[in-house]
Amino acid sequence: MRQWLSVALAGALCLGLQCAVSQKLAWQSDAPKGDVHQQVRFLYPEQVTLVAGKSSVVELHFKVSDGLHINSHEPREKSLIPTQLMVGEPVGVNVASVDFPAGTDYSPAFNPNDKLSVYTGEFVLRAHITAQRGDHLVQAALRYQACDANSCYPPKTAPVAVSLIAK
Amino acid sequence: MVSKVLTAPQKRDSKCSVVASLKMEEVRGRVDLKRNYLVSIVVLAALLLMVWAGVANYRRRKAEQVRLQEMQAVLVPAAPAASADQAAAPEEEMKSPLEGKPAPAFTLETLQGQKVSLASYKGKAVLVNFMATWCAPCKVETPWLIQLRQQYAAQGFEILGISTDDLDKDDKKMNAQDKQDIAKFVSNMHIDYPVLIDGDSISHPYGGIDALPTSFFVDRSGKVIAATVGLHDRDELEANIKKALASGGA
Repeated sequence: MRQWLSVALAGALCLGLQCAVSQKLAWQSDAPKGDVHQQVRFLYPEQVTLVAGKSSVVELHFKVSDGLHINSHEPREKSLIPTQLMVGEPVGVNVASVDFPAGTDYSPAFNPNDKLSVYTGEFVLRAHITAQRGDHLVQAALRYQACDANSCYPPKTAPVAVSLIAK
Repeated sequence: MVSKVLTAPQKRDSKCSVVASLKMEEVRGRVDLKRNYLVSIVVLAALLLMVWAGVANYRRRKAEQVRLQEMQAVLVPAAPAASADQAAAPEEEMKSPLEGKPAPAFTLETLQGQKVSLASYKGKAVLVNFMATWCAPCKVETPWLIQLRQQYAAQGFEILGISTDDLDKDDKKMNAQDKQDIAKFVSNMHIDYPVLIDGDSISHPYGGIDALPTSFFVDRSGKVIAATVGLHDRDELEANIKKALASGGA
């Protein structure tokens, strides 16, 4: 009984120390530091299983950070930088095309008469992929240019990596 | 049925065994006592450590709160915001580390290939305005800058537009196209002040230009007296221009 009590106390002690060292406060983030300047993140999928030799649609999910918007694939002004996906095709994989969603209208507070075509929050690209039998790693980069209510940020690329299993 | 009759020697053995068992009990009692002490010490140590952990955690949270309050004190503008737009302004109130220091020297080219140095504007108040053709808030600000330049040029005010648009340095044809796009923007926006290209090359000494538009107001002696990030209203731009004109004169 006493042994059990000692073990329980030791456990409680470790828990207390762990809490003292690692407890996060409301404004502290678990986000990796290297990702701090990325305004769009690739969410999922990390792995997809396809039918070998047959064209399949792979939905790629992205998220624009809160308070920001990025130009859609077809911004209304030529000078604005469109969102694009650059795909590297490994041997045995063919990415025939990528469907971009239509942008939503956005009028910035500083210029209410202006109507921009943008993506905010989560958005999905649909890639048409054909892969030969086997495992493949498809790497891509989403090029985007983000703005908030008052500022615009230089164009950036968000890395994308999807593991394909073609059976 | 077997009945046992106790004889005298058996009685003596019995006494011996009672004594032995009493000694064993005593030894056990001592061992138990030591164990009790040990358990008590462990319990006490555990309690002390838990109290210490709690106190340490509380102190750390307090320190974090103080740090956050200090950060908020830096971010809150000195004057109350006049409008909702101002209240929603981002981190622009954070003072630039360049303020009060000499503006980093630079020499960049115009679209026509003419070299322009900041040093050549000494004695004038200069607005160093980082912008890009793809920056929507820059397009809102540009007409104000053109007007303000006209208004204060006679007092010795100049604007240097610094384009941060990418320039292809490997492909001459693409490079020419990039320059053409900037020239088109300058023409469409009716910009009549010098626009210098390859602004990214001087981004680092200016603290890294993470957001556009970014403006540095340089006084007549070449010192940065104010810096803003993001779109600010025209009045604020004008106030900073006046400040730059009034400062650093002989």
